[in-house]
Amino acid sequence: MMLFKQSLRINKRLIGISLSAVAGSFFIALILFQLASQFRNWSERDCQITFEWFFFMLGIVYCSFAFPAFRTKEKTMAYLMLPVSISEKFTFEILTRIIVFILFMPLMFWLVANLEGFIVHHFVPDLINYKLSFGTVLTVFTHNNTTGWAIFGYIQIVLLAFIVAFTGASYFSKAPLMKTIFTLSLIQVGFILFIYLLYKGFNMKEVSFSIERIFFIKSEAEAVIFFALSLLVVNMSLLAIAWFSLKEKEA
Amino acid sequence: MIQIKDLNFAYPRQQALFKNLSMHLEAGSITGLLGKNGAGKTSLLKLLAGQLHTQSGVVSVNDHNPRKREVSMLNNVFFVAEEFYFPAITINDYMEIFGPLYPKFDRSLLQTILSEFDLHPLSNLNSLSYGQKKKYLIAFALATRCQLLFLDEPTNGLDIPSKSVFRKILAGSLDENQLVIISTHQVKDVENLIDKIIILDNGKVIFQQTIAEISQKVCFVSSPAADAEGVIYSEVIPGGYRLMMPNSHSETEVDIELLFNAITRGKKLS
Repeated sequence: MMLFKQSLRINKRLIGISLSAVAGSFFIALILFQLASQFRNWSERDCQITFEWFFFMLGIVYCSFAFPAFRTKEKTMAYLMLPVSISEKFTFEILTRIIVFILFMPLMFWLVANLEGFIVHHFVPDLINYKLSFGTVLTVFTHNNTTGWAIFGYIQIVLLAFIVAFTGASYFSKAPLMKTIFTLSLIQVGFILFIYLLYKGFNMKEVSFSIERIFFIKSEAEAVIFFALSLLVVNMSLLAIAWFSLKEKEA
Repeated sequence: MIQIKDLNFAYPRQQALFKNLSMHLEAGSITGLLGKNGAGKTSLLKLLAGQLHTQSGVVSVNDHNPRKREVSMLNNVFFVAEEFYFPAITINDYMEIFGPLYPKFDRSLLQTILSEFDLHPLSNLNSLSYGQKKKYLIAFALATRCQLLFLDEPTNGLDIPSKSVFRKILAGSLDENQLVIISTHQVKDVENLIDKIIILDNGKVIFQQTIAEISQKVCFVSSPAADAEGVIYSEVIPGGYRLMMPNSHSETEVDIELLFNAITRGKKLS
């Protein structure tokens, strides 16, 4: 709680400016996209896509600015000497970078989109679909899936995008987003190379796979559960890396 | 209070900075940590504060392992670094926000020191000069009443009047449960202030004695010639020589600079 109060008092101006900038960006982007669709063809689905794009882009960038104290040596020293436990510091970063963002952004977009729609509709009656339901905004977490495991899986995907950036910010001091993207690209290239070598080396062309059953997975429903749990494990592992990188940080 | 045993430390891809370094310090003193450039004074303070991690050996600060950075250790340790960071808030806001993190924080002491240092509580920390920021950091450090204060080159950037105010407030605002370690090259600034001297050289503590012990053993005198009987070490000064000699008569003020030069050149205090 102390860290929240501190952060609010120190960053109140920055928070105010950032929120205004984000709300302004939503507003302008919506007008531009509606203009591109000549207003008449604008649908709630377009609004949802706009939100998803903003949600992931802003979220990844915002999470990549986690642990701002690690960007300079002096700030790192001050942060490490702050008499607050490592778990509190870590929890504070997760809450403010990931949880607050996930809870606050849909609400903010919903408010701005409805305000923008109302204003534009007033001047341009061609904009018919100017109202946005909150449920539509929330489909970013469900993608219209109804089963619990599928929704859980989608939530893990959303979290994965943010947690990767968050972990990168805890690990890299300078240009964390760029370095995280570079590292991910290297891992991806390595993975593709591995599969390629496996394919070539073991002559996998000759091996036939049964789509009906891979390892212990016997059905689509089980595949969804496996996928969701795998993502959960990946997310938890990334958070563990972030935790240890905070714990072992040196000035 | 501080216990270091067989400490080994090296920065990545560099030679060992400390090799089996051992040291023991108790509360109730202002200790001067001296050493040549690169001797590891700042690194040692960082190791004690948990900002760097040892490769091997034991470091204990108030019965805590500094590496763990536990709250019960951190709220009793304050590090005044040479390079530091302040958020863009006023002096008052900083006090309101960060003061409560230290259980023994003394608001009235801070206000007294601020007025001694001629700092206005409504000034924004970012608009202050380096020297003013440093004065505020020292004032805040003293007001925390932490048991352990690490001051790294505290007088760097301070103007001449502020240096004497610094000496006055440091001497006047400490109690016997506190230990202050001052790492400095500006030995003249801390003369008459420190009561124990530690000299680091080649990764080891080569000297560790109180001012009283030094005064009993040696005296420091000026002389027109350098060949007086029993001279341990001498240096040319304008108009003659400064000598370090065995103390056979009365105690003199310890000339820390001369002592440091003598010790780092391998001289012994009898």
